[in-house]
Amino acid sequence: MRKMLAAVSRVLSGAAQKPASRVLVASRNFANDATFEIKKCDLHRLEEGPPVTTVLTREDGLKYYKMMQTVRRMELKADQLYKQKIIRGFCHLCDGQEACCVGLEAGINPTDHLITAYRAHGFTYTRGLPVREILAELTGRRGGCAKGKGGSMHMYARNFYGGNGIVGAQVPLGAGIALACKYNGKDEVCLTLYGDGAANQGQIFEAYNMAALWKLPCIFICENNRYGMGTSVERAAASTDYYKRGDFIPGLRVDGMDVLCVREATKFAAAHCRSGKGPILMELQTYRYHGHSMSDPGVSYRTREEIQEVRSKSDPIMLLKDRMVNSNLASVEELKEIDVEVRKEIEDAAQFATADPEPPLEELGYHIYSNDPPFEVRGANQWIKFKSVS
Amino acid sequence: MAAEAAAAGRLWLSACRAGGHWRRLCSAGLLRGFLQPASAVGDAARRRQLAHFTFQPDPEHQDYGQTQKMNLFQAVTSALDNSLAKDPTAVIFGEDVAFGGVFRCTVGLRDKYGKDRVFNTPLCEQGIVGFGIGIAVTGATAIAEIQFADYIFPAFDQIVNEAAKYRYRSGDLFNCGSLTIRSPWGCVGHGALYHSQSPEAFFAHCPGIKVVVPRSPFQAKGLLLSCIEDKNPCIFFEPKILYRAAVEQVPVEPYNIPLSQAEIIQEGSDVTLVAWGTQVHVIREVASMAQEKLGVSCEVIDLRTILPWDVDTVCKEECFLNLEAPISRVCGYDTPFPHIFEPFYIPDKWKCYDALRKMINY
Repeated sequence: MRKMLAAVSRVLSGAAQKPASRVLVASRNFANDATFEIKKCDLHRLEEGPPVTTVLTREDGLKYYKMMQTVRRMELKADQLYKQKIIRGFCHLCDGQEACCVGLEAGINPTDHLITAYRAHGFTYTRGLPVREILAELTGRRGGCAKGKGGSMHMYARNFYGGNGIVGAQVPLGAGIALACKYNGKDEVCLTLYGDGAANQGQIFEAYNMAALWKLPCIFICENNRYGMGTSVERAAASTDYYKRGDFIPGLRVDGMDVLCVREATKFAAAHCRSGKGPILMELQTYRYHGHSMSDPGVSYRTREEIQEVRSKSDPIMLLKDRMVNSNLASVEELKEIDVEVRKEIEDAAQFATADPEPPLEELGYHIYSNDPPFEVRGANQWIKFKSVS
Repeated sequence: MAAEAAAAGRLWLSACRAGGHWRRLCSAGLLRGFLQPASAVGDAARRRQLAHFTFQPDPEHQDYGQTQKMNLFQAVTSALDNSLAKDPTAVIFGEDVAFGGVFRCTVGLRDKYGKDRVFNTPLCEQGIVGFGIGIAVTGATAIAEIQFADYIFPAFDQIVNEAAKYRYRSGDLFNCGSLTIRSPWGCVGHGALYHSQSPEAFFAHCPGIKVVVPRSPFQAKGLLLSCIEDKNPCIFFEPKILYRAAVEQVPVEPYNIPLSQAEIIQEGSDVTLVAWGTQVHVIREVASMAQEKLGVSCEVIDLRTILPWDVDTVCKEECFLNLEAPISRVCGYDTPFPHIFEPFYIPDKWKCYDALRKMINY
């Protein structure tokens, strides 16, 4: 009995001692930064590409790790909530592609602009929205970033233009944002993302032409996760060298599972655009663990072995963790603590997203137009009237 | 018909925009369940969810030979199977049709007819339809699939400016009449903005094409076969919520249901209800509610072909002179198709019944 009490008290005091042990960890001698070699990028119409070595500081490393872990856990939580039918509709998860969203954000400034397609939860987070607003938007509650009216595919934040459901439609938009950047003269760039499936849409090529013609500071980014829904790239595209598809636009092919590679490539591309040379195309070779959406098991067009192989050899979080631990930038325990923190944050966010009330019914008619006097929305019959207020 | 024309007058009610939604069951009244604050997981899971319509199958048709129990997507597969068997120039193409399609409408066809007759296209709707027009112009039968009706808009230019005008502008030298575009259509309960749209109205004012929406598996097979054989470009919208929910006895052999002919499903003398697609089942229920609660006899018409539509069946001569109340339209709101608000957006049976009641009391 005594021994048990002692054991219990040790456990409890262990919990209380956590701050003390964190101090202990921090006082361990970590390196401030480390230099890593990264994969060379394939180039198209470029004399030289991004550097093949990069310096990662401890601070940055921890930041990227936390961000990627948050995105991963957030997506897995969304998966769970979807299976519990708390999230309905469509839900496209990006776990496996964390290095893309975190790496891109690391290579640009918060004042730069970003637009992407429907696999947008990760970008919504890296562009600055808290997890609770993202999850609340997925569950369709008023605390969501689009007040519950957009859902999974329509999330927006400052300098983040969504979240677009129609495949390929966001690319001409991105070119337009780039035009505004050039016009405003504030040295900003626009990252315009699309997938390997969308790369075959006609409007993408229209956007390429305009961007190149007018030298717009637009970075076209093809997130190639090898499958357009259920169609592998070989069966959809005559040329799977997506970085070359811009033809007259210079391009580079980047290892999208390595956050440092993505970061360096983004910095390179942003510098290219900011110097007035016009658009540039980046192909990020990445992978998604989930199927196309929650209604796709993801194993009818690819083998479980393939998914397992990518998970064990190229998982972005694992790659960063290994690098940091092996070069003494962080310890395994420290990273585990970050994991625990992240888990808690996600749990709280999920709690909020489940408990928050749905938007009020009046909002069904809101924000159709921008108009001064609210007008009545024409509808089903003359008894239920909704006003459009903006 | 003559008896109806002689009746004192007609009240009209036309219900457009078919749809389906999963309405949460609540004790009384539609709204109360929703206005309760959203609560924890257990509660949400406990609330049962019903569709806003009940599929009502037609009695089995005897005149077309042996029948088999099929749902809507199987009826579509059967029609496509018959077409490819009969017509050696017929080809089916679209996104993901090779493995069977995202709604299983083309299952087994590639194995049966070969990969040069059933093939996938890349992700490019404008390309798919343009390409289909090209095939049709040479005389081959092209059956294109647009994966969701919401994605048909990049192809709108090809349909309206090319397909619809081909015969007219070439003085009948050329035409793309052997083109049929099939597309899943209408709301499904959780589709939100881009998987729920019913865009037939956009095409309804374009002379040169035909637009058809079936309400059931039997209708779908006959109408689709008619569309494929029709010598004009046709758009065939398939209510996706009925793909599995609608099950009927459907003839195995090919048969045709004529286009541009509405069907009077139920005779009536007081009010005419017109709808197409899923909504037909909603107004059938409304008609029986009206009979039961108000003693009103409703005529239920399934329009079937939106363009060119059957004016004669729907409005008899001089009907406008005999109307005793203004025509009422019950449809979705003038907002984009909402995400979380879908159950309130749908023109369900209560809204239709309400409109009917107000009309009776006009």
